[in-house]
Amino acid sequence: MQRKDILNLIIIFMFTVLLTELSNLDLLQYRKFRRLSDSNCIRLIPQLGARGNILDRNGKIIVDNKISYDVMILPQELDNIDLVLNKLSRILGVEVKELKVAFKKNFISTSVPVTVAKNIELKKAIALGEYKVEEPSIIIMPKPLRHYPYGTLACHVLGYLNEIDRWRLTRLEDYGYKTKDIVGFGGVEEKYDYYLRQEEGGVSIEVNHRGKLMRVLGFQAPQNGKDVQLTLDLNIQKIAEEALLERKGSIVIMDPNCGEILALANYPNFNPRIFINQQPNILNRLFNNPESPLVNRAIGSSYPPASVFKIVDSCAGLELKKINNSSIFLCQGSTMIGARRFSCWDTHGPQDIIGAIAHSCDVFFYKTGLLVGAQNIHDYALKLGLGRSMGFELPYETSGFIPSPLWKKINKFQGWFDGDTANLSIGQGDCLITPLQAAVMVVPFANGGYLVNPYIVKSVGGLDLSIKKRKLVALNFRKSTINIVSKGLRKAISDSKGTGNVLSTLSVAVAGKTGTAQVPHGTTHAWFVGFFPFDKPKFVICVFLENGGPGYAAAATAGKIIEEMDKQGLFS
Amino acid sequence: MRNSFFMILILALLIAISGVFSIYSSTYQKEGVWKDIYMRQILWLAIGLICFFVMSGFNYRKLWDANYFIYGLALFFLFLVFVLGIVRLGAQRWLKFAWFNFQPSEFAKLAVIIFLARYFSRKSVDDTSLLSGKFGIFQGLILPFIFVAVPMFLIIEQPDLGSGIILLLIFVYLLYLTNVRLKYIFTFLIFLVLPMPFFWHFLRDYQKQRLLVFLNPNVDPLGAGYTIIQSRIAIGSGGFLGRGWLGGSQSQLYFLPESHTDFIFATFSEQWGFLGSLVLILMYYLIIRQGFIIAQRTQDTFGKLLAYGISLLLSIQVFINIAMNMGLAPVVGLPLPLMSYGGSSVLATFIALGILVNIDRTRNVF
Repeated sequence: MQRKDILNLIIIFMFTVLLTELSNLDLLQYRKFRRLSDSNCIRLIPQLGARGNILDRNGKIIVDNKISYDVMILPQELDNIDLVLNKLSRILGVEVKELKVAFKKNFISTSVPVTVAKNIELKKAIALGEYKVEEPSIIIMPKPLRHYPYGTLACHVLGYLNEIDRWRLTRLEDYGYKTKDIVGFGGVEEKYDYYLRQEEGGVSIEVNHRGKLMRVLGFQAPQNGKDVQLTLDLNIQKIAEEALLERKGSIVIMDPNCGEILALANYPNFNPRIFINQQPNILNRLFNNPESPLVNRAIGSSYPPASVFKIVDSCAGLELKKINNSSIFLCQGSTMIGARRFSCWDTHGPQDIIGAIAHSCDVFFYKTGLLVGAQNIHDYALKLGLGRSMGFELPYETSGFIPSPLWKKINKFQGWFDGDTANLSIGQGDCLITPLQAAVMVVPFANGGYLVNPYIVKSVGGLDLSIKKRKLVALNFRKSTINIVSKGLRKAISDSKGTGNVLSTLSVAVAGKTGTAQVPHGTTHAWFVGFFPFDKPKFVICVFLENGGPGYAAAATAGKIIEEMDKQGLFS
Repeated sequence: MRNSFFMILILALLIAISGVFSIYSSTYQKEGVWKDIYMRQILWLAIGLICFFVMSGFNYRKLWDANYFIYGLALFFLFLVFVLGIVRLGAQRWLKFAWFNFQPSEFAKLAVIIFLARYFSRKSVDDTSLLSGKFGIFQGLILPFIFVAVPMFLIIEQPDLGSGIILLLIFVYLLYLTNVRLKYIFTFLIFLVLPMPFFWHFLRDYQKQRLLVFLNPNVDPLGAGYTIIQSRIAIGSGGFLGRGWLGGSQSQLYFLPESHTDFIFATFSEQWGFLGSLVLILMYYLIIRQGFIIAQRTQDTFGKLLAYGISLLLSIQVFINIAMNMGLAPVVGLPLPLMSYGGSSVLATFIALGILVNIDRTRNVF
């Protein structure tokens, strides 16, 4: 081969190299480079809309938004960073060091504003606005922030806002959620986040290599989130929370005729405001608190129902005709079941069903329970809404638990004994219910035999949802059953020896049942479930005090609430 | 017979016109003098065409006689730049005349090619054999290298590393073509490569930086690597059909520096895409191929070497420039012949093409 041919080949080779790389860039990596090219010159300037407000049933604001101000610095306009930060620290009253750290941490590129201080007060923002005249690199960015005028009020119903976590992001990505989005955690904020959520608008602009605006490519107005109206009544909610007196527990008040929750109070609680400032030590204290203040106890944790469960026994016995209005069992303070002695909390003598409910006689219900059988008790408990999730609107609802012989066989490899039935009859043992379930359980006795679907969101964005949610399901119990149990519940208050006699002094006729749940460690849980006014029930109430002592304490708390409601004229 | 003339003329004109379009597209939004820069390029093209026609009618054999004069003139201008050069873009490559800047290194390349072609051939028309086969190491290698090294040193010192390297490459290629013994060439290459680390210290800081950045553009994405990254983005974002004339954000919004001179290929490629770039590269190849064909069918050794030298000059410049646009070669500051803005480059290229055409035309006289 001659030298000139080799040279020819070299030239051909050189051009082949060029063409290969050209096809690599233009054909294989085209998408990547087109994206890079776009990101070079297209900038988005976001404009925030406001998240939807949360209102009470009367349209009063529970949560809304307040404008707050972020301070940002545009590095490319900056001459002397130290000078500006010094001045800023004097105006804001923040250490220069903190500002410097924030500046370093948030710096992305010279053309992107850097946030150095968040949520400053209006006064400081105005002071800064004056300084901005001489220092154009400062940007004061107004931004709507969650505002909680009532502090901790109804915090468990509302939930809080925080930066989206990994788990939520993977679930919600398809709905347009992005990293760093602020989303609701717990409560209505989480469940109705999609509606409450504002739509971020913004201007997309084309910039040149210096980041200078060339032209506006598009504008999308930010959309405010939709308002969510709750069924809560702010006044009743306030009364309920005050009545808890910083004792652990929860209170549920609902309308038995439609299922609307009027109040849902829990303690310990938290202030959703602390998630706005994001101070790590305060948040850590909250998350690590052993009392778990973030848990919505009314729906999220379950407890042994104790004597409250006797309502289930009564229904099962009466419906299955194992007992009737005139059945009488003799209470001698205790009874033998199998080889074990099961005691009553008192010696009641002969008791009929109404008296037994009123005095909460254990022996009567041991015997009724044994007549009915464990499986039937289990079935009737489920009919009354226990032991299963209600599909309530707030997240993290627990279903509670009602044991049955089959369950014991499968899970514990043990047979079911009469002792288990006796334990179940007085709501002890493995039996667990939530305060909301307890409230729902007494609803049929307040509205003449209908189970309701409890709900807490009345309307979203002005669209009334209550018609869809209002579901009254007939229990198909006999009228007499409902009447007898109601009478028993009324007698528990009106009878001088009734367990809820403390409520008899109220101006309004109350019916209800107390419960004192034994726990493995510590003081007993106190329960009270009831409804009022007895003639034409408008409210169902459940008071639960965790380790709150005897059921009497819960009844007394309920009494305070009813009294206060009466005083404020909330019965009409 | 006239085929090569028309083919080269048409191809060169097509390339030059697409160059004008690209220059217009990358400067028409700017203000002041920049706005009319494409007009100046058109003017240069017109002058270039005149040069092309003049040279195509000018018997190239006369260059043989004028050879020392041309070489001396080139050295003189290079030396003038060395002394008086004005600082621009970090490089002193221009001589400022009344209304234009004259860049002697563009012409020096041509002068060196003419000189080498003369050196390795004889004047006698009857004896067309090459001398170099009989040359020893001094005559075949050292002496011609000294003649190349002087202008090369002046050019590199300007500093214009790209043109210097091109001179060196052409010298090596021509040595190879003139049948200088392979062992001389290899000795030469070894002596060239060995002191590389030593030369490193003589490079300007920015040259060192450019070489480092070539190895990894992300070393300094906002500094020296910026150009390579932006240029690759510009080429890649063109896609198959390109973003259309006056389209494309890389060149239109000035993300791409030097978009009308050294990086005009990226500007062109962003707007005309794979297809346009393919056609452009093929057109360059066809011109170069014409040059080789002319060289091969020329009997006269001087003409032959001159034709080879000119074709090589074109191909190396095109290759290095486009490779540099794609990030395959370091950024050395070389114009793309016929396309990049710049009078000296346009004139030198058209003169070279004119000589090429004339070689083919005169060949038949013998």
